[in-house]
Amino acid sequence: MKKHINKFFLLALAMFVSQSCIDLEEDMSSILTIENLRTENDVVAALTPIYRQLYETHRNPHYLRTATYGADDLTTWEAGNKAPLRVFDRFDYGSGENSDIMWLDHAWDQYWRIIYFSNSLIDGLKTANAPVAIVKEADAEARFFRALSYFNLVRTYGNVPEILDGEAPTGKEQRATVLQNYQQIESDLLIAEANLPKPGATASVGRVSSAAAKTLLADLYLTWGGWPVKDAARYPLAAKKAKEVIDLNFFKLLPIDQLWRLENQNSRESIFAVQFSPTEDLRSSFPTAFSFHEARGYSDAFPELQFFRDFPAGPRKDATFATEIPQRSVASGAIVTRNPATLPWEKSQRAHPMYKKFTLSEDITRGDRTVGYRAVELYRYAEALLIFAEAQARVGETAASVEALNQVKRRAAGLPYLTPNAKVDVTTATPKEIVAERGWELAGEYKRWFDLVRTESVAEIAAKRDPKENVDLVRMPTDAQYIAPIPFQAISTSELVQNPAGFKIK
Amino acid sequence: MPKKLPKLLRNSLFLGAFLLFSMSVSFAQQTITGKITDENDQSVPGANVFIKGSTTGTTSAADGSFSIRAASSDTLVFSFLGYKMAERRVGNATTLDISMEPDARTLNDVVVVGYGTTRKSDLTGSLASVTAKEFEKQPLTRMDQALQGRAAGVQVNQTSGAPGAGFKIRIRGANSISGDNAPLYVLDGLVVGDINSLNVNDIASMEVLKDASATAIYGSRGANGVILITTKQGRKGPAKVEFGYFTGISNVVQKLPFMTPAEFAEGVNFAEGKEFYTPQEIDALRNGGGENWQERFFKTAHSNNFQLSVSGGSDAMDYFISGNLYDTEGTIIDQDYRRYTLRANVNAQASKKIKVGLNTFLSHEKSSGNRVSLSGGLTWDPTTPAYDADGNFNFNTIKPGVGNGGINPLVGPLNNVRDAYDNRVTLSGYANYDISKNLVFNVSGGLDRFESEANSYVPLFVNNVGNARVFNSSVTRLQNTNRLTYTLDSNPNHVLKIDAVHEQQLVTRQSLEATASNFFSDLTAYRDLSLGSIQRTQNNQSDESLQSFLGRVNYALFDRFLFTASVRADGSSKFRPGNRWGVFPSGSVAWRLIEEDFIKNISTISNLKVRASYGLIGSQAIGARATRAIPIVSPDVNYPLTGGSNTVGVAPSSRLANPDLTWETTRQTNLGVDLGLWNSLLTLSLDLYHKKTTDLLLNSQLPSFVGPTVVTRNIGAVENKGFDISLGLRVLQNDDWNINSTLNVSRNRNKVLALVDDKPIELGNEYIGTTFPVNPTRVEVGKPISSFRGYLFDGVYQLDEADEAAKYGRKPGDAKYRDLNNDGIISTDDISTIGDGNPNFTWGWNWDVTYRQWNLNFLLTGSQGNDIYNFQRGRMMGLGSGQFHAVHADYLNRWTPDNPSNIPSSRNSIELLSSQFLEDGSYTTLKSVAFGRSFEGDLLRKVGISRLRLYLNADNLFILTKYRGFDPETTASGGSDVDLGIDYSTYPINRSFTLGVNVTF
Repeated sequence: MKKHINKFFLLALAMFVSQSCIDLEEDMSSILTIENLRTENDVVAALTPIYRQLYETHRNPHYLRTATYGADDLTTWEAGNKAPLRVFDRFDYGSGENSDIMWLDHAWDQYWRIIYFSNSLIDGLKTANAPVAIVKEADAEARFFRALSYFNLVRTYGNVPEILDGEAPTGKEQRATVLQNYQQIESDLLIAEANLPKPGATASVGRVSSAAAKTLLADLYLTWGGWPVKDAARYPLAAKKAKEVIDLNFFKLLPIDQLWRLENQNSRESIFAVQFSPTEDLRSSFPTAFSFHEARGYSDAFPELQFFRDFPAGPRKDATFATEIPQRSVASGAIVTRNPATLPWEKSQRAHPMYKKFTLSEDITRGDRTVGYRAVELYRYAEALLIFAEAQARVGETAASVEALNQVKRRAAGLPYLTPNAKVDVTTATPKEIVAERGWELAGEYKRWFDLVRTESVAEIAAKRDPKENVDLVRMPTDAQYIAPIPFQAISTSELVQNPAGFKIK
Repeated sequence: MPKKLPKLLRNSLFLGAFLLFSMSVSFAQQTITGKITDENDQSVPGANVFIKGSTTGTTSAADGSFSIRAASSDTLVFSFLGYKMAERRVGNATTLDISMEPDARTLNDVVVVGYGTTRKSDLTGSLASVTAKEFEKQPLTRMDQALQGRAAGVQVNQTSGAPGAGFKIRIRGANSISGDNAPLYVLDGLVVGDINSLNVNDIASMEVLKDASATAIYGSRGANGVILITTKQGRKGPAKVEFGYFTGISNVVQKLPFMTPAEFAEGVNFAEGKEFYTPQEIDALRNGGGENWQERFFKTAHSNNFQLSVSGGSDAMDYFISGNLYDTEGTIIDQDYRRYTLRANVNAQASKKIKVGLNTFLSHEKSSGNRVSLSGGLTWDPTTPAYDADGNFNFNTIKPGVGNGGINPLVGPLNNVRDAYDNRVTLSGYANYDISKNLVFNVSGGLDRFESEANSYVPLFVNNVGNARVFNSSVTRLQNTNRLTYTLDSNPNHVLKIDAVHEQQLVTRQSLEATASNFFSDLTAYRDLSLGSIQRTQNNQSDESLQSFLGRVNYALFDRFLFTASVRADGSSKFRPGNRWGVFPSGSVAWRLIEEDFIKNISTISNLKVRASYGLIGSQAIGARATRAIPIVSPDVNYPLTGGSNTVGVAPSSRLANPDLTWETTRQTNLGVDLGLWNSLLTLSLDLYHKKTTDLLLNSQLPSFVGPTVVTRNIGAVENKGFDISLGLRVLQNDDWNINSTLNVSRNRNKVLALVDDKPIELGNEYIGTTFPVNPTRVEVGKPISSFRGYLFDGVYQLDEADEAAKYGRKPGDAKYRDLNNDGIISTDDISTIGDGNPNFTWGWNWDVTYRQWNLNFLLTGSQGNDIYNFQRGRMMGLGSGQFHAVHADYLNRWTPDNPSNIPSSRNSIELLSSQFLEDGSYTTLKSVAFGRSFEGDLLRKVGISRLRLYLNADNLFILTKYRGFDPETTASGGSDVDLGIDYSTYPINRSFTLGVNVTF
């Protein structure tokens, strides 16, 4: 009997051993691929991360603006944790130093990620089975974002490597020239403007239109005409593209006191804006960055005193700046108002006004800091008008170009913008005056620094800086400060050459 | 008694212990007394004496004496580990003195090796063995404590003082740069994921396999060394009941130096260059007010541990059943931890040929509480008291924008909810079949399943929103091992043993995360996520499998020359077909010189053996799917394209696919010698080793402009070389005294030999949010895996250096960094390697002093030559992206024209990443000291207690170090090897005092 038990046991063991076998293939059934885009939904799913990345890029305005603090529309807290912003505010760079400071890499990394996502989509669409019209439109959309990203990269850091769809990393990538970057951006935008839907043609408020591509193209040409490439033949093209946007007769200027309200996001003035969502709690830090600590913000960005003083008085100034600084505190997790509820800006902690345009739409019910959900404007109709006015003025102003400028001025004065008004209208304007007007109109909107660089007026503006500004200048800026150092991580992991040695215009 | 332990549980534990001991009291006719001695007439304490065929028995006292009641017809059995079992018929005798004969087989301690056991004297490889005897005198709760300082070549670091967490174990350094360097843990033959929840009281021995000959049998998983854990089994004889209890208090002893609130206020005024605080306000602070956050965060923690085990056995069955409850608080407020474990090990001789056994282990851990952040909390505004006059929290700083931007650091810990539960089931069974006298067939298998539930809630009261998170994850490991062992030992001059094994393993991982926010009520916290208006879920699963075939031959020639050869072939699902299989051979020889006449005749030498081994071992310590570029699907790639609600997105992978990926291989050479002198009064084990790891599984960092940011490649080489010394000294041994000392010294030099194009790479984590776009550590050819980089800090520009300062755009009072390349600017070219976190050597020195019933056991450990990057101090000096103002007392000595110190008084852009914050992390600590007394005797025996021990223990009684942070041993980098030795917000180790009792029934 015992013997039988032994035999059975051995047999059972042998059976067990022979029957249990573990497979060596990885289970991939939970993995989705983007190699086959079959339907419109597939295409939209592949497009969505590009937009999301745009949101990531823009939701923290001070990170994105780090390298643009040299302009007079931005300064920062002279103490506290704003060292990286002060580096640029005080021109403490230019020979390759301070490439390893925090926040400088934000724009770099985030824009390259948009380019990566766009490249992947453009590449995937080449073999997509989705309907041709959908493929074409998505391709145009991806090209728009690729162009937008390259444009901001080349303006901020100088010439960058050209990484396009279908290219595998080699580790040997080199920086192209500024001109090559411009040409690539132009070629993408020409396709985008042709294939993108007209503004208002889509129900998706967040999606990009041909008008956005035209405006970006106009902006590119305007930049191309200035420093560093200085190809004046691009100004007429800038004027032409901006005029095409105006001639769509789709866009409007909103009354200036209405413009920055939450409910007026995605209005007819908005050519393209990044979306936020209270439903999904996708927040923007605009109110946080542009509010002082006493208002439950982080004191990251506020206007320089001279810029504020020079800003023409009127409804636009009132809509742009907050001169009464809210005094707030936190109790039981919620923001509460102190007594007194506000202090005049001179008596505030930072002794500067704040940007009302970014705090007007704030939400102070979401925790202990002020936050926002308003869409962030990348291109407004006012800018299209001003690009047209300036570009045309550079090649010979016309009645139409002066009218475009006047429309912006009338709206700034709180007047109906389409009705001529002798009190504010000008009959002629120099490009320099129009650039100044752009400064007022687009203050704090991530434009002013690039205007000063392309018109080579950084030093001129820095010379006007109020000596009472608490952030002391390390040096008077020259063209060495026109571009930021390339973030250290990119230099240390690749063969790119740091600025200024690696900066190549043509 | 812990106030939190339910009374019922407490009572039932004692009742259980009582019932169990009363069972062992039985009736007998006569009392037999006697003394048990060994072959040298030394008394043998703790030997088992029992009546054959019954469960009645006792153990011998410290002087070897015993007393038992038995009938004249009974036979007494005497047993003691390492000695042959002896039997005596009682007859008419009332005294029985027994001289026990050593058991040649077990005297040569049997040690566990991979897939089997061997005599210690037959070992050809390098192995460190730690048995329960060595650590049972200390009140331990975790197995890593038992290894710390007790095994040469094994570096055990307590990386956190948090209850129930934080050890890092490395055997002979780190081989891999991106892969995991943790050793393989094998629990009773089953490969298990981690050993955190094991009950250390269940462990009989731990064998640490160090060289290739010992580890190559584990093939692709052996490169980091292997720790074999063997749990206790029942022994034939009457039931043995052991009960242990200890209670302790712990404190954080080292404190950091802070400015007073008034000094802080003056510092703020200085930094802002204007009057933030009026002189009146500062005066008021000087007279009281403000807050000492350090005092708020730390507290005295209580802990309790209950341990009860029953073991025994008969000819056919043996059993070991053990239960443990460990309950402790943290020394940081609101940190509680509780662990229950249960083990049952059973073996049965089913027939003459069949033996089966089952080991089961269950554990349940609960940790709760939201830990205060020591980085943000200690640097919070000291001028704002935690509570206002009405007893409500001061949520924000009274002066806006001072200290840092967080809310009152007590609000979160005192209001947020966190409950984390970990459950573990480990089952392993075997069936052993003796096919013939020489051939054994063994099938074993098991399951190790680990489930983790992490729940948290941030209430409306804290952030006005309400955020809940429920995260469930599990890891299931299935293993099956089939082994044939052939032994030929009929001729003692030629002993041959051959093992052939097939093994397979499947690991599946799953996780499910659900979050909800925008609650309207705090009532249900995380327990009802549907109350939050925004909800997200994410889940994930992956699997990995391994198929292995291995063989091993042991051959002993004339009991002098010992040969071992093994080979293992592993196929892993992590690699694609073609790169999937790896073969890992090893060989070793040992020469027992002690058996040679020319040594035998030297009377001082009692043991001498030389060993040599060489082998290849592998590593596949990367995650599943590392060869693939998997698209990203997550809420983080969704976007409200149409305004309002999100559209779901699918983003391209941040990883570049690499189908060519294959094994990382380590070649290890080991030379060793084992020496015993003066009848083993002094024993020495010395091992020299050299390891070279090639085809590293390296996560190369790609520049962000190319798109994907990481690719795993087989590139590079790393070398580890060093020695392990284990020195044992029997200082004194006589009837009254027994003094033993063991010293372990380990030295390991780690060096990176090659990388992609030999360019340095950065792999460490960012520790201070977005503070460093540059990592504080990097991997560089010619340097250890983790080396610190930064600017060289040369103090402060003084008034007479204004001109030089101006050249760099600086002014007196600014930090002075060295312009290494003399190009007139301080740029990233001036960053250099300024230190590293690897120690030159580590050591542990254990002393065990017994005088009659008294025992003193203490352990000193130390580490020499490692640096620490003290970013906690950096932040306390007001630097970094999250900090506005300094709180550290050093700031009192900041540079001013009147105080030309070397502490910068301004903030520049470099701030933290400099040698200003690099410190020497060497230390010597009295890790533990236990003082105890054993009680034995008739009085105790009458109540059924054969042995009672009372002890007092202290952990971390003192530490000698120059390090200025809380603790040089803890680190923010946890188990990481690429960024060793970073101190930021780390949980300091505690000093503990423990009072305990052990009772054996």
